[in-house]
Amino acid sequence: MNGPSLEATPQQQRALERFYYYEARLLDNRQYQQWLALVSPEIRYLMPSRVNVMVDNRARGKEEMISVDRELEGPDSLGCPIREEGYIHLMVRAERAFKINSWSENPPARTRRIVGNVELVGQRGEELSVLSNFHLYYARPGGESCVYSGQRRDVLSPAEQGYTIEKREVIMDYANIEVPTLGLLF
Amino acid sequence: MRVSELVNEDASLVSRRCWSDAGVYELEKRGIFRRAWLFLGHESQIRNPGDFVQAYMCETPVILARGMDGGLHASVNSCTHRGLPVCRADHGNTKRFICPYHNWSYSVEGNLVTIPQESAVANKPDKAVLGLKQVPRVASWRGMVFGCFDENVESLEDYLGDMRFYLDAFFERFPGGIEFLGAPHRWVINANWKLPVENQLGDVNHGAFLHSAIIPREAQDLIEELGFSAVTRAGHGATFRLMPQGAPVDEVAWGMEGMGGMFGGAEVQEYLREIQSHAAERVGDIRARMKGLTYGIYPNLSFLWSNTSFKVSHPRGPGKVEYWSWAVVPADAPDSIKRVLRTNYSSFFGPAGILEQEDSEVWVQQFQGSNIDFADDRPYYYGLGLGEEAPHPELPGLVSVTANEFYARHFFRRWRDELQAVEGQS
Ligand code: FES
Ligand SMILES: [Fe+2]
Repeated sequence: MNGPSLEATPQQQRALERFYYYEARLLDNRQYQQWLALVSPEIRYLMPSRVNVMVDNRARGKEEMISVDRELEGPDSLGCPIREEGYIHLMVRAERAFKINSWSENPPARTRRIVGNVELVGQRGEELSVLSNFHLYYARPGGESCVYSGQRRDVLSPAEQGYTIEKREVIMDYANIEVPTLGLLF
Repeated sequence: MRVSELVNEDASLVSRRCWSDAGVYELEKRGIFRRAWLFLGHESQIRNPGDFVQAYMCETPVILARGMDGGLHASVNSCTHRGLPVCRADHGNTKRFICPYHNWSYSVEGNLVTIPQESAVANKPDKAVLGLKQVPRVASWRGMVFGCFDENVESLEDYLGDMRFYLDAFFERFPGGIEFLGAPHRWVINANWKLPVENQLGDVNHGAFLHSAIIPREAQDLIEELGFSAVTRAGHGATFRLMPQGAPVDEVAWGMEGMGGMFGGAEVQEYLREIQSHAAERVGDIRARMKGLTYGIYPNLSFLWSNTSFKVSHPRGPGKVEYWSWAVVPADAPDSIKRVLRTNYSSFFGPAGILEQEDSEVWVQQFQGSNIDFADDRPYYYGLGLGEEAPHPELPGLVSVTANEFYARHFFRRWRDELQAVEGQS
């Protein structure tokens, strides 16, 4: 994304932040069924994998030489993104938490998300393209606690509860993956 | 501690120290990883001269490259001057690897090409003997490239032996063979390297229990009903279902049971049926009916047929592994179909996998249990199905029901013998 964000109205900015705070609260409170209601049945939920690439000599001295997007093996690549999910995947992940034989959720992790840097960067009809950053503290009984850091590139459409998430691409800031799983709801 | 105290004669008892002892780990390096064929990469990743990928042989970083001569070269990624890695990218194409410290440069085959400081000194070093250390044996079978630090190792074909029968049931299904997609997913798990290996070598029986929140009981019943476990040689194993003659194509065809196969649309399903319709002529009747589950190739390569992924468990000490995995697809599939089929892997496996999340957690906990004090008189029980495996008229190796843990007993017998062979040597 290049250039400054769109000039959102104060109401629009407040509505977006209100939505993201609500979403973070639902996830931290493990209200995953309510969270699913914020998600479109057609959602594309993506997480590119992040690769150490060779420096392109021709790009020397230019910003594109070290651009984040060069490091991503995303959905259009012929690499392998870490996640390319639809509603059914998110549903399986959400529903699993409510089964007593779900060992990776039992006892459940304690999480706390801080969402910020909310920027409206595009608008097409009713659909909004919005960036946000997150830090997520994660502590799982029996394991080491850790911090997840990343950016979300969302497409939202207006809905009764604020918005519906039509698409989410999560850019994780990992160099080496040393967290228990990248399969959380970010 | 003697190796003979770690694993009993029939390997039905395996000591906790096998998993957690630092001395045992050093023996594993010398007895196993310095002598075995280790997986480095797939030829589809390095098609053109100058292409390279990173690999590891145990903890030793290796560059696997396609040389300007078209041949395969494996060089230790460590500068002969002061030891820095000369290559930092996961993959790419290059003419030279240039070491950051003093800019010695190496060809993609690993030969030392320039020493910038050379012109300022009178005695010129002999560059011919200062190249990157070469992995002395490199060989490829069906595009799978392996390396070995032991010059006298048996041929790769002999090493794989009858595992080739089971691997070909997959590889030979596709007219163009298979292809690895992108850089491997690699992540760190605080576990011992052998547990991911054992899990993929034949432990399909944890599915109904550990994964019971996801895997429906009926699917597991089918595995138990139609499932076989085969050991072609100690340490190599395959588990698979043998579908009944005349089973509907949608139930037999590879790829159908994954998320991409199920939800990826009609085009993908047509493609998978088409492959299956030629399976018998390509791999014969019995292998056409094979629907694989998990495979293991000694010591640390795994193939998860059901979710089409190759994996390597790279040790990083007794209590840490760097786990690598790749999505694998038919090489001649259209790109759009490759993109759908890779989700057969990534939906359930890899660093965000719904099932992998459950597996890696128990691997961590098994290491913790292996590292506790005052329980050494309670070795782990590996005796399920002891002695119940037998030759089979149509399937190579020893064959049994999937609940028989003979795959793990055979692994640990070979493991014990290979450690014993180097015990007391330095
Ligand atoms: S360490 Fe590589 S050039 Fe000096
Ligand atoms: Fe598993």
